[in-house]
Amino acid sequence: MNGLWSVVRKEFMHLRRDRATLIIALILPIVQMIIFGYAIDFDVRHIQTAVADLDNSRESRQYLSQLHAGQYIDYIASVSDPEVVADMLRNGSARVGITIPKGFARTLLKGGNPQVGVMIDGSDAQVSLRARFAFVTPPSQIPRGATDARINVLFNPDSKTANFMIPGLIAVILQIVTVALTAFSVVREKEIGTLEQLMVTPVGRLALMIGKLIPYAVLAMVELAAILTLSDFLFGVVSRGSLVSLTIMSLPFVVASLSLGLLISTIAQTQGQALQFTILTMMPSILLSGYVSPRETMPGWLYMISNVLPATHYMQITRGIMVRGAGFGDLIPQSSVLIVIAMLLIVLSTARFKKSIA
Amino acid sequence: MAVENIVDVRGLTRRFGAFTAVDHVDLTVAKGSIYGFLGPNGSGKSTLIRMLCGVLQPSGGQAFVNGFNVAKEPESIKRSIGYMSQSFSLYRDLSPRENLDFFGGIYGLKGQHLQDRIRAVIDLVGMERYADQPSGTLSGGWKQRLALAVALIHEPPLIFLDEPTAGIDPVARRSLWDLLFDLAGQGKTFFVTTHYMDEAERCSEIGYIYLSKLILKGTPAELKRLPQVIPPGTRRVAVMTDNPSLGLRTLKRLSFVRDATLVEAEVHLLMESATSDAEVIEALMKEGLPAHGLREIGPSLEDVFVTVTRSLEQT
Repeated sequence: MNGLWSVVRKEFMHLRRDRATLIIALILPIVQMIIFGYAIDFDVRHIQTAVADLDNSRESRQYLSQLHAGQYIDYIASVSDPEVVADMLRNGSARVGITIPKGFARTLLKGGNPQVGVMIDGSDAQVSLRARFAFVTPPSQIPRGATDARINVLFNPDSKTANFMIPGLIAVILQIVTVALTAFSVVREKEIGTLEQLMVTPVGRLALMIGKLIPYAVLAMVELAAILTLSDFLFGVVSRGSLVSLTIMSLPFVVASLSLGLLISTIAQTQGQALQFTILTMMPSILLSGYVSPRETMPGWLYMISNVLPATHYMQITRGIMVRGAGFGDLIPQSSVLIVIAMLLIVLSTARFKKSIA
Repeated sequence: MAVENIVDVRGLTRRFGAFTAVDHVDLTVAKGSIYGFLGPNGSGKSTLIRMLCGVLQPSGGQAFVNGFNVAKEPESIKRSIGYMSQSFSLYRDLSPRENLDFFGGIYGLKGQHLQDRIRAVIDLVGMERYADQPSGTLSGGWKQRLALAVALIHEPPLIFLDEPTAGIDPVARRSLWDLLFDLAGQGKTFFVTTHYMDEAERCSEIGYIYLSKLILKGTPAELKRLPQVIPPGTRRVAVMTDNPSLGLRTLKRLSFVRDATLVEAEVHLLMESATSDAEVIEALMKEGLPAHGLREIGPSLEDVFVTVTRSLEQT
C-alpha cells in the first residue's frame, strides 16, 4: 500500500480541478432520476382523439363528455367528415378516431344500442391497449341503453411489438450513432493542434461546419440502409409506406443529429468531455422520444423538452411511414421541425466556433 | 504605406483584462528579409504574432500586413500569409501530399495549378521520398519541412515561423535555415521567433520583446554596438584557464566582475576597465588555477540580451 494516501489526495485534486466531470457526475443522477421516474409510465392517459359527430345531438355530446371524463380520451379536433378522422390517424395527429353516426340519439331514445365507430391507431401498443379500455368499460350513466362501440384497430392490428418497436429503435440507434460521429470532430482538431493551423487559413466557418457534416451524413444514410435491411431479416419488420419517402425524410433528421454532435464538439474542451456530453444526449433520446413509453404520459414540461430532441420527431416519421403507411404529405410537420432544428444547430455551432482567439 | 515594408506596426497594443500583453510596439519588416523576433516566454511574442496573423484583435494601435489592416481585414491577411507553428499542427493520418492537397484547396488552388504547386513545394523541401506515408510517422525535421511546404503552398509573400526549429536535431536545423536563406533570396519574407542565439545571428534584423515592450531592434551587428551593452567603464574579455567551471565560480565572486559566463571552455567576463589583466590572473592563481591569458572580445547577441534585460530588471 505504498503511497495510497498520496494517490487518493492527487485524485481528489484532479476531481476538484475538472469542473466539467464533477458537474456531470453530480447532475447526471438527478437528471436520470427525473427522466426515468416521469418518462417511464405505461398508464397512458389523455389520448389524442378526433371526433366526427354526425348526429350532433344532446345525447351524442353527453356520450362524448362522459368518455372524456374517464381521462383516457382527450378531444383535439371535431370534424364533420369521417374521412378526415381517418387521415388524422394516418398522419399521426390523432391516435383515436370516433365517428358517431346520424340517428344516434334516436336509437338511444327508442331503447336500442346505437353503434359508434371507433378507430384506434395500433402503432403504439400501449396507447391502443388503453384506448380499448376506454370503450370496453363504457360510461356508466348513459341514459336508456348502452352504446355499441365497434372498435377497429387500424395499424398493426395484431399488436405485434416488433412492428412498433423496431421503427422506434431505428430512430434511437440512428440518433446515438450520428451524434457520436460528429461530437469529436472539432474538439479532436483542438486537441491535436490542427485547429491552430486552420485558424490562420482563410477557411470559412460555415464551410468547415458543413464540410464536416456531409461525409458523415452519407455514412449515416448507409447505416440507415443497413438497419432497415436487418430489421427485415431479423425481425420481419418491413415498411408499409414508401422507402423513398423514408429515405428522403431521414435526411433532415440525420443532419439535425449530426449538427447536435457538432455543437457538442464546439462546446467540449477535450474529447473526454465530448464523450460525456454524448452520453448525456443518449438517455433523453431513448427515454423521452416516445420509444420506451408513450409521450402522452409525460408531464407537460418533460413533453416540451422531448420536442427539442430530433429523435422524437423522427420516431413519428419512422412509425408513420413504416407502421401506418403514411405518405410524404402526412409527415411534413415533423420534417419541417427537423429542418428547423438542423438549421438552428448549424447556426449555433458556427457561432460558437471562432476563428479567432477571444 | 511603403511597399518595401511588408509588415508595418505602429503602437500595437493588446490587453487581457488588466494585463497588457503587448504594449505600444512599433516595428517594420522589410520585404525579402528574415526578421528574428526574440524574447523570453510570456513576454508577448505569441500575442503579437497572433495579431499579425489576424486571429487576435488588437486593443490599440495599428498594424498592416501585406498592406491589410489586421483589425479590419483579418481574412485578407490569412489569404496572403503562410504560418508554421511550433508544434506539428497538420493531419497526422494524412500523407504530406494529402495535407498539401487539403490546405491548397482551402487557399483556393484548383486542378492542374494545385498539382503543380504540390509538386513544386515537395521538390523545394526535398521530401519526394516521404510524400506518401502518413505524416505522423515522419521525424521531427521532416515534419517541420512539411509544415514549411504547407505554409508555402499558396505562394504567400510573407511567412510566419513560430519557433520552427524547437526540438529538432542540428542537421535538420541547419538545412531548414539554408532553405529559408534560399527563399529569402528569392524575395520571400520570414518573420521568425526563436530562442537560439545562433539562429538570431542569421537574421537580417532582430526585434527583442521584454515584458510586453519591444526594447531592442536592429541588425545583429547594430545591437552588438549598442552603448548599453558595454556600459561605460567596463570591458569584455575572454579568460583561458585549466578548469573553466571552477574559474567561473572564482571570477563571479570578484568585486570588479559585473557578469561572467562560460563559452567553449573560456570564461567570458564583463569587468571594470580600471582592473588590469594581471589582477584577474592573480585572483585565479590564488585559487590554484593556472590562467593562460586574457583576450579582448566583443559582445555576443546573448550578451546583448542578457545585459539589457538585467539592466531593466534592476531599474
